[in-house]
Amino acid sequence: MRVAGEETALREEVARLTRELESLQHKLHEARSELGRQELASGRNERQLERYAADLRETFKQERSRSQQLRRSYMATVRALSNAVEARDAYTGKHAERVTAYGIEIARALGIRSAELAELEFGFLLHDIGKLAIADAILFKPGPLTDEERALMARHPLAGAEIVGGIEFLAQAAPVIRSHHERWDGLGYPDGLAGAEIPLAARMFSEADVLDALTTDRPYRPASSLAVAREMISTQAGRQFDPQVVAAFNTIPDQTFVHIRTEIG
Amino acid sequence: MTRAALVVDDDPFIRKLIVTTLEDVAQFEIHEAADGIEALEVARRERPSLVFLDIDMPRIDGIDACRQLRADSATSATTIVMLTAADGDAIEREAVAAGADLYLTKPFSPLDLLRLVDRVGGQPS
Repeated sequence: MRVAGEETALREEVARLTRELESLQHKLHEARSELGRQELASGRNERQLERYAADLRETFKQERSRSQQLRRSYMATVRALSNAVEARDAYTGKHAERVTAYGIEIARALGIRSAELAELEFGFLLHDIGKLAIADAILFKPGPLTDEERALMARHPLAGAEIVGGIEFLAQAAPVIRSHHERWDGLGYPDGLAGAEIPLAARMFSEADVLDALTTDRPYRPASSLAVAREMISTQAGRQFDPQVVAAFNTIPDQTFVHIRTEIG
Repeated sequence: MTRAALVVDDDPFIRKLIVTTLEDVAQFEIHEAADGIEALEVARRERPSLVFLDIDMPRIDGIDACRQLRADSATSATTIVMLTAADGDAIEREAVAAGADLYLTKPFSPLDLLRLVDRVGGQPS
């Protein structure tokens, strides 16, 4: 009787353990399936993230390309305008381009950085756009101007500032256009600004402008040498020109200006 | 220095993400390495001008790899960008001390990454 009882107990124990085993196997199977599903999902997530990365890259490249294109368009427009102004003013030739190049060198010598230099270029190129509003009779008069004619001519900075006034991308150009005939000592026009009241861009420009005027042949006098031009500009420190800009100008080697002259013509 | 770049991270997914983000943004040929030792081998062979270096890696870590890149004349002039963990103020100082030029904190901004590469790559306009 005792052996039969033990046998029964054993059989029941085996059955219990078998059921437990089956249960564990079932759980293992489920865990494996779950893991499989998670890996699948993770793989899909990774691939999705890679798509985000690729799209971001493409968007970035497009934006960069458009921004470069926009800048080129602005530059082309400004050059066309600048050439239109010069086309009327027969003897000035490549004046605007040269003065712009000189002006950029002066700005660089004052420590102005690349991004800002690009903005200055527009204003320098368009400084005389106001001359479009000046009558031919005055602009092309061979002899000296009368007082009245001089007064009309002196309006071109204001006329120019008005012309570009509504154009957002030329906002930085307007101060140069308006104030490029101001003088450090306040005796300039149209506003009679003095010293640091004059926008720095205009202070740099007026020196570059005079440098080009002095070193270019005119119908009524030949060009001066660079050395003479430097001397004449230096004597105007504190009078026509900002002394700091004059000092910066004098740190620029002759070769730089000669090179610009050769390159642009 | 050739126009090669090197991405070093032991996580293959991060490597893949960086490579996908940067592919032909600034005309770099992008190479990969899974740890510091491999990084040094690839760097000596490919002479990358730009290296992205994860810090937490097996065998030798990013800090050590950075020091060795700087010590080897073949690779010393490359621009090294460390990928550091978010809470790593001290780590960032250590990275710079080891010779890293820049660091990006993980999780890094992909836009920061793009702009950095664009700047270093000197994209012509």
